[in-house]
Amino acid sequence: MNNFSILSKTINGIVIFLPKGYVNDLGAENLEHACEEFLSKEMKKVVINFSEIQYINSIGASIFTGIVQKIAEHNGMLCFTNMKKVHSDVFEMLGITRHVKVFKEEKDAVNFLKESN
Amino acid sequence: MAEKRNITRLIFSISSLVDLGQEVTSAKSFNERMKTALYVVTGMFSVPKAALLVYNSNQQRLKLLTHKGLKDTTWGNIHVKAKHIKSFSKNEPYSLSKIKTNFLYNPNTEALEKFHTKTFIPLFAKDEFVGAICLGKRLSRPSYLRSEKNVLKVVANQIAITLHNSSLFRRLTNKVNENKKLYENMRHIYNDTIKAFAAAIDAKDVYTKNHSFRVAKYAVAIAGELGWKEKDVEAIYVAGLLHDIGKITIDRGVINKGEDLSVSELSEIKRHPQISYDILSKINFPWKDLVHFVKHHHERIDGRGYPDSLQGEELSDGVKILAIADAFDAMTTDRPYRKKLSLTEALHEVKKCLGTQFDRRISNVFFRVLQKEIKGETKEAQILPHLDKGFNPTVITSLLETITAELSA
Ligand SMILES: [Fe+2]
Repeated sequence: MNNFSILSKTINGIVIFLPKGYVNDLGAENLEHACEEFLSKEMKKVVINFSEIQYINSIGASIFTGIVQKIAEHNGMLCFTNMKKVHSDVFEMLGITRHVKVFKEEKDAVNFLKESN
Repeated sequence: MAEKRNITRLIFSISSLVDLGQEVTSAKSFNERMKTALYVVTGMFSVPKAALLVYNSNQQRLKLLTHKGLKDTTWGNIHVKAKHIKSFSKNEPYSLSKIKTNFLYNPNTEALEKFHTKTFIPLFAKDEFVGAICLGKRLSRPSYLRSEKNVLKVVANQIAITLHNSSLFRRLTNKVNENKKLYENMRHIYNDTIKAFAAAIDAKDVYTKNHSFRVAKYAVAIAGELGWKEKDVEAIYVAGLLHDIGKITIDRGVINKGEDLSVSELSEIKRHPQISYDILSKINFPWKDLVHFVKHHHERIDGRGYPDSLQGEELSDGVKILAIADAFDAMTTDRPYRKKLSLTEALHEVKKCLGTQFDRRISNVFFRVLQKEIKGETKEAQILPHLDKGFNPTVITSLLETITAELSA
């Protein structure tokens, strides 16, 4: 379906994703592929900004699970920002947030990653 | 806190199952549907690596059909001899430690490891072994809670049926299967899941064990008598099962107190239809009216109900049905503050509340169904089996005749 799209940018070697819309079918796997692409270029600091994400179902959760796993395998760092409460509740229940740094705002995550090696 | 997490889990599980139901019946290609189904499972239980395998009975092998997160997929086979199949429990999740002690592990150590298997689920559609799911390590806790295992079983069952239904599976097994309506089975599974959640609601309230089931049954009987379409009857059935789901957020002590409720406790209890609505409206059910029925099941014709004090024709037929089904079951079962009413007493009570609490037309339909059931004129009785057997059919029949004659006049 076409109700999902991703914007990405890089700041000081930090990759920032701004996915938009519904993370509820295999279309959202593009986000996982995009992460893999940056990881293969040794860009291992990743921020995902959730502000434009509307709905995440279990298929979406599966894709985030994959992203968490891949970044961990590459010894990278993953931050989630601007999460709605419904999303953070689900991710907490699923144990996903345990493997991720959660920040309120995108800039907080960027600052954190800038200072870490 | 734990309560809140349970609700999150509940909503997430029900909506995942709804999504799975929609995905496996969608028009997408078979491979895409199966991949999506596997993603639903891995998302529900936060498993980054998993494989879905299909059984080839000629070669006595499980072959990789689709996977999530595996790098090396060349190890596509797990050998399962025909004689071993019967030792599996159907659609039951096996932990790795259990697998290590049975026939499966030794000949397949390498393949199981390549699939990162921590949990192995043999898939059965009816009695036929159709495939398996290998689940890797979870991001959350390593093992599965009992409730998670139950949900996992339901999901496995659904995937097994889809797999069995596929032409691919038929080709592999060289079987020209009679085209049985396995889709019907899937509906049952879906219903079973919702029933499991309904049981969780009823478990909270000691006096209303199975209340949700009975309300659902009674509502279906009335809707059927009204000539509702099958899909709408399904909606009222599920609404019946889940109408009190909001009670899971209310303190158990308050629910089971019954009498002498303080003003604040009473208003706490009165919040439950709205909470039910809030919970269920987050789920993308295939039935539009379901949440509306649930929200208003305590409304009354005279406008003295809650939460919105709707009155008269502002109440839809579905709401009126659920209201009488709910109240009638409350009357005919023991409550903390009083013993249950006899059937005669309950019918008099409904009659007394016609036009104030209950709608006359819908109540008339309810009386008519009951009459038919007592006379054995229905295909399957939905109300009668749940009532005390002690009543005198002749007395009840004549009472019902009097009431319905009055109402029809
Ligand atoms: Fe209720």
